[in-house]
Amino acid sequence: MSQGAAKRAYPGCRYASLNDFFMADLRDQTLSFRLRREWPAYLYLLPTTLVLLFLNAYPIAYTIYVSLTDFGTGGRFSLLTYHYVGLSNYVYAFTVNSSVSWSLIFNSLFWAGGSVAFFLAIGLGLATVLNQEIRGKTVYRTLIMLPWAMPAFITILIWANMWQYNYGIINGMLSYVGVAPVDWLQHTDTAWAALFITNIWLSFPFYTVVFLSTMQSIPKDLYEAASIDGAGMLSKFGRITLPYLMPTIVFVGLMGFLFTFNNFYPIYLITNGNPGSTTAIFITQSYNDAFGGSPAFSTAAMYAVLDFLIIVAITVVVLWRTNITRNWLK
Amino acid sequence: MRQRRGVRAIRIAKRVATHAILILTCIFALFPIYFMVVASLSTLPVAAITAHILVPRPSSLTLSSYHSILLDQNPSFLAELTNSLIFACSAAAIGLALAAFTGFALSKFNFPGRRTFVYFILLISLFPSFVMILPFYLMFAKLGLIDTYIGLIIPYSAGAVVFSGILVKNFMDSIPDDIEEAALVDGMTRTQAFFSVLIPLCLPVLGLAAFLAFVGPYTDYAFAHVFIDSNNLFTLALGLYQINSANGAGAQDYGLVCAFALVMSLPIVAFYMLFQRYIIGGLTLGAVRG
Repeated sequence: MSQGAAKRAYPGCRYASLNDFFMADLRDQTLSFRLRREWPAYLYLLPTTLVLLFLNAYPIAYTIYVSLTDFGTGGRFSLLTYHYVGLSNYVYAFTVNSSVSWSLIFNSLFWAGGSVAFFLAIGLGLATVLNQEIRGKTVYRTLIMLPWAMPAFITILIWANMWQYNYGIINGMLSYVGVAPVDWLQHTDTAWAALFITNIWLSFPFYTVVFLSTMQSIPKDLYEAASIDGAGMLSKFGRITLPYLMPTIVFVGLMGFLFTFNNFYPIYLITNGNPGSTTAIFITQSYNDAFGGSPAFSTAAMYAVLDFLIIVAITVVVLWRTNITRNWLK
Repeated sequence: MRQRRGVRAIRIAKRVATHAILILTCIFALFPIYFMVVASLSTLPVAAITAHILVPRPSSLTLSSYHSILLDQNPSFLAELTNSLIFACSAAAIGLALAAFTGFALSKFNFPGRRTFVYFILLISLFPSFVMILPFYLMFAKLGLIDTYIGLIIPYSAGAVVFSGILVKNFMDSIPDDIEEAALVDGMTRTQAFFSVLIPLCLPVLGLAAFLAFVGPYTDYAFAHVFIDSNNLFTLALGLYQINSANGAGAQDYGLVCAFALVMSLPIVAFYMLFQRYIIGGLTLGAVRG
């Protein structure tokens, strides 16, 4: 087949002739050739690009700009006319107001890091338990999945009711077995405990099932060979299961961290940052600054930008040290 | 003989421990849901529910909470459901169409700037979506879009595109190029091949993307709370929050809250339980494939 005919019959063809096959690597790299062959991609991406620019990039840029103004915080008329004030919001946040800012940084990292540690530990543990020949495995797995299947906003609202001091079912159950009721949401320690327990309840099913399905894809021969060599359960877990699961652990761990860092509803609905902002994270603080009473838009925007910067820094470091985006970039 | 009995004892102990752990986990997982069901079926104050929850007496169970949330609310449950469906379905449809094109372009073309585009999407997806409420609110206040259907559908769809696009791309990466090339040899254009070969192969992931784009707006409170003032735009999430504020912990009447919550979550739970295998597989595509 001549090259022209091949191209007409098969426009997306990589190699129109044998010569092309050998030259392909060199030629594929030239910009003009790639443009000529791949230009329809830009058409397909056009609508998405517009959405990303106008409905994602522009609002983000606008948020960054608002964080550099006195919008809502510069006196009585700052909601109507506001001014560019440079970095003074940031300077204020780390001088006069530094205790709040540092506690937000600490709380956000503590909330995300602590949650992910629980998710991974419980997920791995339960997946190991479920990855045995046991009766009723499907029933257990289905029942464990239920919390994850319920919409989070709804179940968090129910949990918020359950943790109440006077009329919450948890204190009700405690008093039933003779334990004095705990004022969960009025003390920092117990408030965090309530938040973590709720968050674990929301997410452990997902981690368990993900780890379980990865474990089931490990070839059985590996374990048989290890048994013949006299390996015990622990060393099989450490030498076979864990290395095999590592890419999955890093991936869902990072995703879980990013998600939890910005997970708004558990904290907003259960403690709303109380007692006294000791359980507030960036995202709840920002929302409350903007829409909770007095509209301090510039402060809200500043906390959003700080949140974004921290998340980007963490993501860049993790992506740089691991190769988990290999599949995304092919 | 003695040793064999020891081995058997260990095996039985292991099995008992396994079931004990799993049963405790199931109790932890199911208790809040069980509480919701029992509370929604009783009109008792919470002090009585505590005793009631361990051994529910059939005689005290009643459907009156369900009757009340379905028929006696203002705005009505049906109106809220309609609004929620309008928001969620529009966002899912728009988000899905855009995500399919994006996934196709990013997965099957090797155009200059592809890497940059993927990094750009990843970067945008890291920006906290709840914070986008602020710029959207300020922008839409200027454009007069606050308290309108369009004003909420736009941010919902914009949010859906980012995640679904990556999801579809990851799935399309797993479809061999040969399939598309075979269609091209048969004389199709790439666009034809996309619609008649790739789209049908991608149906599971497109379904998942649409579902996730649906669930977000369906259960969204943060955006709706800021963007909606008038009663005729009220969504289910706002309705649930309102009922909770009026009847929750303070008023000691969980019946209405729990009944509303259960009815609202029923379709989502059914979908998750039916398709959990696809959902888990789709969400971890980028990770598991090596």
